[in-house]
Amino acid sequence: MDYLIFSFSLMLVYIGLAQLLHIQFGLAGIPNFGVVGFWGIGLYGTGVLYVVFGVALLPAILIASALSAIIGYLLALLVLQRSGQAILAATLALSAIIATLVVSEKDLTGGVQGLGTIKFPFGDMANRNFVFMIFILVVVLALVWVSARLRDSRMGRQLVAIRDNEELAASLGKNTAATKRWVFAITCGGMGILGGMSAPLHQFLVPYQLAPSITFAVWIALVLGGKGHNLGAIVGTFVTFGLFDILIETYAPVPAEQAILLPNFKLFCYGVLLVVIIMFRPIGLLGTDGPKVRQPAAKGAET
Amino acid sequence: MRLEAQNLTKAYHAHEVVNIEKVTFGAKGLEGLIGPNGAGKSTLMGLLTRRIAPTSGTISLDTGAGVKQLNPLKSYEVARVGLIKTNQRIQGFDSLTIRDSLRLAATPPKDEGLTSIFAGHRDTDEIEEKVARLVEAFPFTDRNGYAMSGGEKKLLDILRCLITEPKLLLMDEPTAGLPDDITRSVMNMVREKVLAGDMRVVVVEHDLPLIWEYCDYVHFLSEGSILFEGEPDEVKSNRVVAEKYMGV
Repeated sequence: MDYLIFSFSLMLVYIGLAQLLHIQFGLAGIPNFGVVGFWGIGLYGTGVLYVVFGVALLPAILIASALSAIIGYLLALLVLQRSGQAILAATLALSAIIATLVVSEKDLTGGVQGLGTIKFPFGDMANRNFVFMIFILVVVLALVWVSARLRDSRMGRQLVAIRDNEELAASLGKNTAATKRWVFAITCGGMGILGGMSAPLHQFLVPYQLAPSITFAVWIALVLGGKGHNLGAIVGTFVTFGLFDILIETYAPVPAEQAILLPNFKLFCYGVLLVVIIMFRPIGLLGTDGPKVRQPAAKGAET
Repeated sequence: MRLEAQNLTKAYHAHEVVNIEKVTFGAKGLEGLIGPNGAGKSTLMGLLTRRIAPTSGTISLDTGAGVKQLNPLKSYEVARVGLIKTNQRIQGFDSLTIRDSLRLAATPPKDEGLTSIFAGHRDTDEIEEKVARLVEAFPFTDRNGYAMSGGEKKLLDILRCLITEPKLLLMDEPTAGLPDDITRSVMNMVREKVLAGDMRVVVVEHDLPLIWEYCDYVHFLSEGSILFEGEPDEVKSNRVVAEKYMGV
């Protein structure tokens, strides 16, 4: 049961990351290939503050995610007005830098020996891992709700315009650079929050958790589900992480000698799925959804 | 509203495309800018709206409330001053409907911040009305859908600029790709706004009959410099213009 709660909590974190990537890439068109970096700043920032400096868990999460947002803003200042490839390379590089820093700054992070233990909040409550999962669920649902509101809002419309034709949007008086910077920074802060909330899930932090595989998993989930659809992140994560990591790895009656092959089989399936989707349905399983706005029918609508 | 360029030059690899001692736009109502292909008309338009950085020279805008130097401004800041340019090439926002595209252009930037995420309504009645008036004035195939043909996209581009209520509108070849009757109704709408004193307009065109019909003043640009300026009749009968452009 504890294992299932852990898996579900982790899946919720993945959904949250994919949802934020949907805002960054699906709406604003910023290809962030350093998801694990911003998540990692939240994860290790929370860990260091909690273990080394004795900050309580929730303030630690908030400080760490603010740090993640600030680093996101600085990176945005440097690269966001450059080409898509430059953004891909820079964000990927940032996540590599974070992972390297965690290994090299042994005094703070414990290096390869790891950092622990980060306990769940709520003291000695019996089901505190379950309560914490509900907490993550609430945060992720709030994220989904906010990004639906964003899609329907004036700001979301501006983001879509920037994604489609940034130069044209600027020629109509939109400060496209600043809008993109703020959206990027805030969503990177959100990734930091999810990272911070992952710290008590893992309890013990080691640098290999910062491998780019999380970035790839989140990207695959989003592209499968539909990068332009508000629920694409949820569906995509269920199809990938939910199906393979939870359902098959936990419940499929695989003989022990073959079980070690499962992770490779999983990667194989991801690859095939991705190729099929990109070839036959490049907009993802759910496609794209436009703004759901009830425009006032005529004059005199209520305000 | 007077847009003035002085000693303006633009060179690509020592090849000078634009070299203008002094030119003033927006003083006369509806102005035309004509010239042979490669004269530097589009480059000049790009320079004036700060989409292209000049090699040297100054651009300033007299808004009536003081003179503003445009050189240090970014493209979006120039637009906010009220200087807007329609595009020669077809451009658009592929995922926005005709109405959304116009609503976007009509919405002031200060209303598009983070707080708009939690606003009850997306667009005010005022904006909806403006959009409806423009959309219904033209024969779009699907008024609630997307711009279909190249012509519709070109028309939408011009309407998008008009709905921002510019003080000075630069139109880069508005007839290219548009059917004749649509061009006329656009130009009539533009002329009405100019006569009402809402804005000044500069039209870059190869369609000379249109220039003669609508413009109050015409600038002739050739090989990067303004060679002649005057009323349409003066330009028509000018020898330099005839030799360099009309091939007489």
